[in-house]
Amino acid sequence: MRILVIEDDKDLNRQLVTALGDGGYAVDRAYDGEEGFFLGETEPYDVVILDLGLPKMDGISILEQWRRAERTMPVIILTARDRWSDKVAGMDAGADDYIAKPFHMEELLARVRAQVRRAAGHAKSEIECGNVRLDTKSARVTCDGQQVKLTSHEYRLLAYMMHHQGRVVSRTELVEHLYEQDFDRDSNTIEVFIGRLRKKLPPELIETVRGLGYRMHDGSDAA
Amino acid sequence: MRLNSLAFRLFITSAIWTLLVLPIAGFIIYELYKTDVQATFDGRLEKLVNAVAVDAMSGTDGVPIIPPNRYEPLFEEIHSGWYWQIQPLKDGEAGRRLVSQSLATGKLPSPQLEGVAESDTGSRWLNIDGPVGVRIRLVEVIDTVGHKKDELPYSIVVAGPVDWLESQLATFRTRLATALTLAGLGLVGVTLFQVRFGLLPLRKIERGLSDIRTGEATNLEGEFPVEIEPLQHELNALIRSNQDVVDRARTQVGNLAHALKTPLAVITNEARDSKGTLAAKVAEQATIMADQVNHYLDRARMAARSGVIGSSSDVANIVSPLVRALERIHQERGIQIAVTCPKTIKFQGEKQDLEEMLGNLLDNACKWANTRVYLTVRREDAPTASKSRSSGRLYIQVEDDGPGLTREQRNKIGKRGMRLDESKPGSGLGLSIVTDLVQTYHGRFTLAQSERGGLQVNLELPAV
Repeated sequence: MRILVIEDDKDLNRQLVTALGDGGYAVDRAYDGEEGFFLGETEPYDVVILDLGLPKMDGISILEQWRRAERTMPVIILTARDRWSDKVAGMDAGADDYIAKPFHMEELLARVRAQVRRAAGHAKSEIECGNVRLDTKSARVTCDGQQVKLTSHEYRLLAYMMHHQGRVVSRTELVEHLYEQDFDRDSNTIEVFIGRLRKKLPPELIETVRGLGYRMHDGSDAA
Repeated sequence: MRLNSLAFRLFITSAIWTLLVLPIAGFIIYELYKTDVQATFDGRLEKLVNAVAVDAMSGTDGVPIIPPNRYEPLFEEIHSGWYWQIQPLKDGEAGRRLVSQSLATGKLPSPQLEGVAESDTGSRWLNIDGPVGVRIRLVEVIDTVGHKKDELPYSIVVAGPVDWLESQLATFRTRLATALTLAGLGLVGVTLFQVRFGLLPLRKIERGLSDIRTGEATNLEGEFPVEIEPLQHELNALIRSNQDVVDRARTQVGNLAHALKTPLAVITNEARDSKGTLAAKVAEQATIMADQVNHYLDRARMAARSGVIGSSSDVANIVSPLVRALERIHQERGIQIAVTCPKTIKFQGEKQDLEEMLGNLLDNACKWANTRVYLTVRREDAPTASKSRSSGRLYIQVEDDGPGLTREQRNKIGKRGMRLDESKPGSGLGLSIVTDLVQTYHGRFTLAQSERGGLQVNLELPAV
């Protein structure tokens, strides 16, 4: 899951990036409106956290332009302006959620999880696939009730696959959604992580679709 | 007409002036007329006495002859008040004494013998009580038969009733008084009309200002007389500057909010991530600061507005975007908001305030609801129908199908910062902001058990 944080306050930006990174997300950051707008327009993000009062370009304009360009990723507005008129304006511009500063980091993480789930069409915070269970709230993975220890990259890969189970996910898509923008993108590393996951979890969980990518079986046809 | 009013001032000064001037004018006119009537009466008597003298003294045998009555028919009617008398000036002298038929056996005195001085025209005047007690006025000339000197001088006297004079004056007095009274009433009436008509633009201003207060209009509109036009301009400028001040204050408050809340968020997050008592203290105090900032920012927003000339806002136009936003915020739980709100209803107050109240109430309802939230808005004319158009009341009801609250919880919840369940996100200030705003608008806020299962919140607010 890849997230974009657009926030001009350096400290808050750092805190958000750290917290989201700890939560198992790949996080890109932007400190001003233009940079943020550009990233959101060109990179595939699963969630964007957008401050409204930004230098160079304000949040509402960024959001409106993205929506006009049919960028449909979930956007959570994070702002100090907490009047309902501001919230309504934000939601009307195309936001999916609205968090007023100051906020609890746990709440922000919960909202981010909710947006990710909503985008993938899941209702609960726990996702299952066969006997593997992923708790997005605590970032824990269990197999037959036994906790499986995963590195952060392994967790990211598994979480993305589980959110999109039943569908073929290409390597490029995985690279785009699992790594930060400035990460050295070598799609071979994906194969390495898939291999590690197959060792830690039932090997048949992730199926290789030759030439296309990988697929995880959803509950319906998991043998 | 109230005592302390421009209309009363104008009216009373004009009325006093009228009441003062009319009697004085009446007195002067009466005096002039009286003098004139007196002169006419005297002139007539003088003419008569001269005519009688000429006729009677034209005798040739040394005695006066009876003058033919060609002057005044009343000389022949007994005790008519009109008399003539010719007699020798000195008593006892052998001379002829002649009197008019009207005098009968009566006798008139000779003013000369009574010691009355001669006037410019050679006649003497005297007022006496006549033979039948009627007040009469005498005029006397002295002449001799054939106008010869050394003859026996006769006193020729003609008298007329003073009553006639009096009755003439009395008639005139009545007419004059009637005319002047009518004129006075007319003047007062005209003054009244003048005051009302003249002050009509002020009434218009009053209505215009009331429209501004209730939010029907944003400035004083219409054509005003040149004297009032500058006032209109100044007033409109004042309203505009007032609005500017409010807008500026609101912007500043918003900026302050932004400026304070981001650092607070940073401090809070940093402190939560760290261990130790200092971090815990900082986190705790930062949370208090955040609540205080929110509370006082809302207060400041309200204060910036209180006493400011009001406005009105369409309820339906506020509700639909709010509901859209809220349904989206609570999309994951699939909350539906059922709205019943007639299009024509208008809230008498700031759009943002109603938005704030409705937003917080609906958001709370959405957090607690299972699947549905109900919003019902209706308007009623206040039973105490005053003249003001702002007497309507707006009734807003927000219900949900959630778990609801017990009576005890309902009593607690309105208190500042009180939050019953910490598990639902939110600062806990939502309801206290609502109660503060309701108070600002002199409205009412009550909680009840909804028939739909959950909590029912009732708001009563002023409507246009």
